[in-house]
Formats: sequence, structure tokens, C-alpha cells
Amino acid sequence: MAYPENFTGIAVVDNKDYTYPKKVDYAPKTFGDHDIDIKVECCGVCGSDHHFAKGAWGETPKPTVLGHEIIGEIVKVGPKCDKGLKVGDRVGVGAQAFSCLKCERCKDDNEQYCRQAVWTVSTPYADGYASKGGFGNYVRLHEHFAAKIPENLKSQEIAPLLCGGITVYSPLLRNGCGPGKKVGIVGIGGIGHMGIMIAKAMGAEVFAISRSSAKKADALKLGADHYIATKEEPDWAKTYDDTLDLVVVCAGSLTDIDFNALPTVMKVNGKIVSIAAPDASEKLTLSPIGLMGVSISNSAIGSMKEVDQLLKLASEKNIKPWIETVPMSEEGLGEVFARMDKGDVKYRFTMTDYDKVF
Amino acid sequence: MAYPENFTGIAVVDNKDYTHPKKVDYAPKTFGDHDIDIKVECCGVCGSDHHFAKGAWGETPKPTVLGHEIIGEIVKVGPKCDKGLKVGDRVGVGAQAFSCLECQRCKDDNEQYCRQAVWTVSTPYADGYASKGGFGNYVRLHEHFAAKIPENLKSQEIAPLLCGGITVYSPLLRNGCGPGKKVGIVGIGGIGHMGIMIAKAMGAEVFAISRSSAKKADALKLGADHYIATKEEPDWAKTYDDTLDLVVVCAGSLTDIDFNALPMAMKVNGRIVSIAAPDASEKLTLSPIGLMGVSISNSAIGSMKEVDQLLKLASEKNIKPWIETVPMSEEGLGEVFARMDKGDVKYRFTMTDYDKVF
Repeated sequence: MAYPENFTGIAVVDNKDYTYPKKVDYAPKTFGDHDIDIKVECCGVCGSDHHFAKGAWGETPKPTVLGHEIIGEIVKVGPKCDKGLKVGDRVGVGAQAFSCLKCERCKDDNEQYCRQAVWTVSTPYADGYASKGGFGNYVRLHEHFAAKIPENLKSQEIAPLLCGGITVYSPLLRNGCGPGKKVGIVGIGGIGHMGIMIAKAMGAEVFAISRSSAKKADALKLGADHYIATKEEPDWAKTYDDTLDLVVVCAGSLTDIDFNALPTVMKVNGKIVSIAAPDASEKLTLSPIGLMGVSISNSAIGSMKEVDQLLKLASEKNIKPWIETVPMSEEGLGEVFARMDKGDVKYRFTMTDYDKVF
Repeated sequence: MAYPENFTGIAVVDNKDYTHPKKVDYAPKTFGDHDIDIKVECCGVCGSDHHFAKGAWGETPKPTVLGHEIIGEIVKVGPKCDKGLKVGDRVGVGAQAFSCLECQRCKDDNEQYCRQAVWTVSTPYADGYASKGGFGNYVRLHEHFAAKIPENLKSQEIAPLLCGGITVYSPLLRNGCGPGKKVGIVGIGGIGHMGIMIAKAMGAEVFAISRSSAKKADALKLGADHYIATKEEPDWAKTYDDTLDLVVVCAGSLTDIDFNALPMAMKVNGRIVSIAAPDASEKLTLSPIGLMGVSISNSAIGSMKEVDQLLKLASEKNIKPWIETVPMSEEGLGEVFARMDKGDVKYRFTMTDYDKVF
């Protein structure tokens, strides 16, 4: 199947003008023995795409082709590929495009913590090539980081699981979310809304935690068993004293947590995990006394093994993120970034109709 | 067996003059249905006794009878006691003297985190009586908080296990210390030296971590498999990259940890636990990015179930803290506090010869 040597995407060409991305052609990375090429069908828009676009983590290599909740069809398979993927397979790609696959971390299904990790967007490979993602017609990457999509899942709906979903699923799984457990999801946004659905699908009793009651109706529809509006219930920490086994903070970061309140609602040896991608310069200040019997940590995406587990769970338990589709175009993507400035989305965007623009 | 209505102890009577404690008589707490009276044989001196003595956590109720690593013989058993303890039994008492025994935490073997916990020293009971500890001839407390001592253990040697030992054992146990695990003990002092012995007895590969090499010979004698002098090996975190499953910080507090270095030495999902009793005003500042895949928490003593488990382990594996005995007296205890000002002990004091002073 013939496809162009150069790829085409809707790229951010100026971080100061990120709501006006431009259609550009670009050379893909050199095709490696274990690489595959994917014709992109649709792609979710993640909070970190928005961050990258704005230059929040610094100037990005140009052209900046973002998008790392990718669903598409394999059109080429490299000569040493041995994962079992074939031309024509529908696969998904998340935030990671490469790791060494040799170190202890990679061997232990912790490739997302590999010291040589390359993210799907805006990260230099060893040869200097800056990775480019799914806001373009094709994506090229190592087969390890493509996951086969179960038949009964709808591409548009489950694209956000590839980054946002796995990002909340991994800490839920690693910290014992399941039947008999009381799990809090803090922040009912793009990732938080998936956190509620996923924690429920895993069998836990789910507490949605937000500042106001604005998200209450949605949270209960999403499957939450309880809803806490922390700014409207000043004594919420007392009401829910010694209740939660696990809390995943899905909005803001560790720095936003009220460490005077949240630890008191945790059971002894309870765990608080943040999934925020912190800035390198960000500082967290807390009283160690608030960590008495409670732990805090930060988590990043998940392993490919966990991606497969999540897709299986979604397939069996009918997990459907609440998405708004937007046809891909310069205007479409620009408008999406502008609306994300205001948090104006319930709860994830998926860019679609790629064949109309590329 | 007749014993006085009032107890006698060597008490701190002025927090500003703590190295000159005085022999005083005092009324014990009212004898409750579940209480026992213990004739004290010997008592370890814990870092927190020193803290209390100096008024580090504020003025203490006077007279301040400290000491919470107590070994002694039961001389009286209350009418509703049902734990199986008898007059004549040799028992140990640690840092906790009371909890409600009714809340979920108490029922789940987390009585050390009970909201109504009373410590063995310097803490008011519900009726206002300030608890008094083992630097006196008798101790009175709820039977739940006395542990039977295995026959083959020597009182003087194992007294420090009742507070310092259990304080490091509980986080080791709760966080998976055992065969196949690589466990770091940071700070080779009173608690840290027991941490090395206990972690080794639990079957782990033990890394003793200190600032200089001054403690190296001792650490290896105590059973450490490796020794890291962090100030002498500037690249230590690189050398031990991705190595440790668990680290228990036994000296200083979370605030002393180099969060730029230590997380790098941790495996993914590794845990850092501090056992320091933090000041309420203490603040910890760190970069959340340093908590990527690594958790931190604070731990306090242990449950009585864990005390029994530790004593059993000590009995089976011949765990013997390195102690220096000091005959109990005003001068003896005062000198001990003064030496603790300078950290001049390898590695724990046990006050002995009670029958010569009381």
C-alpha cells in the first residue's frame, strides 16, 4: 500500500501562537527494524498536548506535531518485528514511543520509567530526531508501543484510554483498587472522569472528590458511589475520617492537595498518588506529620502490559470515555487548544475525519 | 505482694535543667479494671525520652517520669484482665499505654494510630492524669500494651526493641522487607543499628546508609551487606541507581533526605519511610518530580501484634541490640541525657539496677 515518504500533520509552529497550528509536511524518523507505520484514524487530545503546545515545558522542537492518544491501522511492519502485529491491525499508541527494552525496568514491565524513554511527542530520539505524534496522517514508532484494540471498542470513544486512561489505571492497579476497597478520585476532568469509570469497573467503591458540586451529576452518572464537594463541605475531612484506601489525584498536582485534610480521610497505610506531570521547578511543601501512616507518590502513564489489561477491561466492562469529536483541521485543533485554556470540555476531545484533511 | 501506693521515679522537674533529674514520689493513675502493675527491672532510653526531657515538644507535665522501653515483672492484674498475663510474668512496655480498642484502627491492629492514643510518657489520659513511664520503680497501664517476653531473651539487651526496635520493624514488615528484597537503612544510630539487625533477620539484603564512613565497621558487624557513605561518595545515587525496594530513614527526618539523590537509588514503586517523630511545625519541601514512581511516608511505632512478632523474631534469630548499661540514679540518668546531647552512645542506653535506687 503506497503512502507518502513524508508525513503531513497539523503542527504548532509557534508556541506563542499555539491556537493557530498549521498544516505542514515533515520527514518521519528513520524506519527501524522493529518499527511499524500506522495510518491514523483518530486521536484524543490530552492535557499534556495542551501543555506542550503552549510551551509550558519550554520551547518545543518545530514543527511540533502533538497527539498521543492515537488509534489507527498498521500499514507497514518492520523486518524484525515479532510482537505479532500485522498490516491491517487496528492499534493504539499512547504517550510513549520508545524505551531501551533491555534494562531491569523495561524487563519488569516498567518501561515507562526507563532512563532512555522517548515520549510520542516532542522528545529527541538518540539520533536527535524529535518525536512526532498523532495529529498527522501517519505515525512511525517501535512496535512495542502499539497495542492491539479489541474488536468491540469504538476508536473515537477509547482513544483517550491510551494516555489519560492508562495514566489513572496504572496507579489504581498497582495500589490495590478492587472489590472491598474505597477509592477516591480527586479532580473530575479529562483523566478524573476516566478514573471514576475505571475504578468502578475494577470493583471498588468510588468517591468522586471535587471542589464544588458542579460535577456532581456527571460524577454519579459516570459511576461514582459518593461525591464530595470539598469547598462546600468544610467538615468533609471529618465526615469521611479514616475512610479511603487509595486516592488518585487527577487534577492539578501534589501541590494542590490540602495536606491538612486529605491524610485524615485516609485509612492507615492508605496511599495518595498524583498523576500530574510536574514541572521540574515545582516545589511541594507539606508537614511530615501529615504523612503519618499515609504515603504519597507520583505516577507516570503505565506499562504496555497495563495498556493491554485496560483495553481488555474496557472491552469486558463497556468503559466508554465521554468524548466530543472534532474534525481535524487547522481551525479545529486551534479551537480545541483555545477551549482547553478554559477547561471547556466534558470530558475529552477526539480529533476525527482525518481523511478529509490529509 | 505489697508495694507502695505511690510510685517513685527519677523525674525531670525542670525542662531547662533536664540533665539534673530528681528522685520524686508520685501518685500513679487510678487502677482500672484492665490495668496491670509492673515492677520495673530495667528500661531503655529512647531518643524521644531525650526530646521530652529537653521540652523539645513543649513544657512537659511535672514531674516528668520518662522511659518507654520497659522490662519488668507483673505484680498485680486487674479484675477484667483477659489477655492471659499473670502475676510473675516478665513483660515489656513500649511507647503506647492506651488506645480505645473499639475503633476500626484498633480492631485492625493499628492501635498506634488510634485517635485516642495515650503514650506511655507525658500524655494526658481522659481524666487529665499525665502518663508516667519506666524511669520509676513501677508502671501501671492497660494490659493490652504489655507484651510477654520470650524466655531466652535478656532483659537489658532487648529493652530497646520495645520502642526503637518496633519502630523500625513495623515499616519493614508492612513494606515487604524479606528475602529477595534490597532494603536501605539511613542513619546508623539508636534505631538504625536495630534496623540493620532486624532487616537482616527478616532475610533482606541490607544497605547501611550514612553520611561518613565512621559507622562502617559497626554497620558491617551488625550485619549490613553494603555500606554507603553519601558524603564521601558524591555519585552514590548513580552507583546504586535503581537498586532499593525500601528505605527506612532512622535518623533525622524526611526533611534531611536528599530528594534529588535518594529516589534515583529506588526501584520503581520503591518506598521511603521515615520513622522520625516530626515536630508539628516542621515543613518538608521537595520536587514532586522526585516522587515519580517512588512513595514517601511516615511511620509511628507499631502495633502490639507486631511487638509480639518482633520479640519472636528476636528470640529465634538472636537479635541483640548493642547496649550500654547505666545504673539508675539521678546522676546516672542525668549523665545519659547529657551524653545523648552529643550522640555519645553506641547504640542505646539501658538503665539498670533499679533495686539499688528504689
